[in-house]
Amino acid sequence: MFALSLIAPCFLFILTFAFYPIAYSFFLSLHRIIISLPGLEQPFIWFGNYKELFHDKIALQSLVNTFLFVFTTTFFELLFGLAIALAINKHFRGRGIVRAAVLIPWAIPTVVASQMWRFIFNDTYGLLNYAFFGSDTALYQAWLADPLFAFLAIVAADVWKTSSFAALIILAGLQTIPDELYDAAKIDGATAWQRFVKITLPLVKPALLIALLFRTMDAFRVFDLVFVMTQGGPADSTNVLQFYGYKKIFAEGLMGYGSTISVLVFFVTLLISLLYLKMIGTRLFGERS
Amino acid sequence: MQKRYFFPKSQRFPYGALARSLVLLGLILSLLFPAGCTREKKSDTTTVRFVTWKPNQPAVWDEIVELFEKEHPDITIEREVGPHSSTAFHDLLTQKLKNKSPDVDVFFMDVIWPPEFAAAGWAMPLNELFSAEEQEQFLHGPVIANIYKDKIYGVPLFIDSGMLFYRKDLLDRYGFNPPKTWDEMVKQAGTIVAGESKKGADIYGFSGQFKQYEGLVCNMLEYILSNNGHILNPDTGNPEIAGDPAVRAMQFVRDNIVGGIATGGVLTYEEPESIAPFIEGKVVFHRNWPYAWEVSNNPERSKIAGKVAITQLPHFSGGKSYATLGGWQLGISNYSRNKDAAWKFVQFLTSERIQKLLALNAGLAPTRKALYGDAEILGRYPQFSEMKDVFLTAYPRPRSPLYPAISNTLQRFFSKIITDPHSDIAREAKAASREIEKILALTR
Repeated sequence: MFALSLIAPCFLFILTFAFYPIAYSFFLSLHRIIISLPGLEQPFIWFGNYKELFHDKIALQSLVNTFLFVFTTTFFELLFGLAIALAINKHFRGRGIVRAAVLIPWAIPTVVASQMWRFIFNDTYGLLNYAFFGSDTALYQAWLADPLFAFLAIVAADVWKTSSFAALIILAGLQTIPDELYDAAKIDGATAWQRFVKITLPLVKPALLIALLFRTMDAFRVFDLVFVMTQGGPADSTNVLQFYGYKKIFAEGLMGYGSTISVLVFFVTLLISLLYLKMIGTRLFGERS
Repeated sequence: MQKRYFFPKSQRFPYGALARSLVLLGLILSLLFPAGCTREKKSDTTTVRFVTWKPNQPAVWDEIVELFEKEHPDITIEREVGPHSSTAFHDLLTQKLKNKSPDVDVFFMDVIWPPEFAAAGWAMPLNELFSAEEQEQFLHGPVIANIYKDKIYGVPLFIDSGMLFYRKDLLDRYGFNPPKTWDEMVKQAGTIVAGESKKGADIYGFSGQFKQYEGLVCNMLEYILSNNGHILNPDTGNPEIAGDPAVRAMQFVRDNIVGGIATGGVLTYEEPESIAPFIEGKVVFHRNWPYAWEVSNNPERSKIAGKVAITQLPHFSGGKSYATLGGWQLGISNYSRNKDAAWKFVQFLTSERIQKLLALNAGLAPTRKALYGDAEILGRYPQFSEMKDVFLTAYPRPRSPLYPAISNTLQRFFSKIITDPHSDIAREAKAASREIEKILALTR
């Protein structure tokens, strides 16, 4: 009983702040609720919203966009994260400062970082144009006006911002690898590349997987970058699922339908995390037993 | 059996310490929260909370609020400043109203919101306060925009409508009159840009608002109407964007404006981004709302002060000039606890005196008819007498409580066809029409 009473607050906390909103979203998603038409009341329509969602081409397109975003960002974030982690794992003068500096992008609030990137990509006074074309303004590109570049722009901003987070987790993994392994390999005549592939990579794999898990779930819920940088445009090329749901609920007042989208996001994230957890779990424990 | 404790007897769970730290925590919290939530306030004043957007001319608004507080010592105005973009402001404001927040007394409404705010029960009906005789003093269009099912929900503060701003000096240099048709505008822009570029100037033909947001709908509506097209048929209410005149107008925008004389970044422009190159002297023609006059003629902000002129928007041959009706209204929240004080503030803001101040110092076009005969205003803005005709004919966007959903569909559609030069306009228009019909079906 005493043990129960000790975990009760934590349990209650999760119940109110995690479980209740999800359950309530699900409840809302079974109704037709249109804020600006209170006269319709709020009829219970079973899975009507879900049926509509699966026929909604825009939702489908935004789902595709979201997946593309998740794949490209997590790929580059892990790649750069690994590179950064390897670099700051070495001993060199001023390492402490470099380690701290690497974390700066991650420490900046996403909204602020997005605003900064919006300026960088600006067509008339953006830094990117200046870096490429100098003062030859005739060549200046409107990056965010092109569907492909606008998409790449939000990917770039996300990679810039969260690679250091991946680096942090991978660095933690790197530090658990004992130096003796490398010393032994060196004596056996292994090249730097062989040491990296045969020692570093296998041993840092669990950390990589954890970074992958966090980044995928996080990337799937991308919202602020899109909100600040493109508002889903141009031509819906950066319209991601979360932003579409936001538009439905907050701009159009379609509470029921918007909640359906949130529930979909929830289930996809849940599925991804279960999949990864299973992978990580078997790998971690497989190696131990 | 001996009773087992979680802690050895000597270190039994430190209830005392726990209690003490809880009390301490409570004290800290109680110190923090009241300090954060309630502001020091004189007990005999009422606070009216005014939700407003980030103004283009903040100094005027400070002056107006100060003036009101001086004349009404018993009322304090607390401004909550939201985002500049109408869409973002809508999301913020409706979020508060949805939650029945008592922290909103007076709020701004874009001209397209009253039906939605009325149907949702957020805006308070003002019929008893805003009498029919009083309504007569205002321009007709904005008043109609505030009426939903025979009740009026807002008082129009200023009117907006699309206008064409142009560089008078450049047009004069090349011997052009202000363009009457869109074709003429494109040709003039071509000549001027070619001529000026030879001299090494960095200049474009046109800037407007073509980002995927509400402003895009306003801009596109003007092209469509001026080719005798419609978004919704005025008689039947059915979507008409797939009609031939509308499709041809959109084709023109894609080929000759966005893909032609406009700046490269025009697809990312809202109002502030679009006026920036104009006041830098890098654009010949600029479509904007009346406030742009004040900004572009302010020597502190603009390199082209004194070189700007305005005229009606062009039209297609066989069509007529149309401007999208815009403008902002003041509404009072149904959940307000200080409705009387709120109404006093609304009355003050929409009075002749303040509207005149806003016209003179912020370039906002008044909604009171009488001010279009005011010598001081006409002395400063001779174009206002001509603009009154534009305002009288300014065309409203579809009036529906579901307008935001209709608008989102239109934004998506317009953005797609002007961004992708290979998209099939007619086919996309039919798809968008079907979506709009589905939305309209909900309200029928």
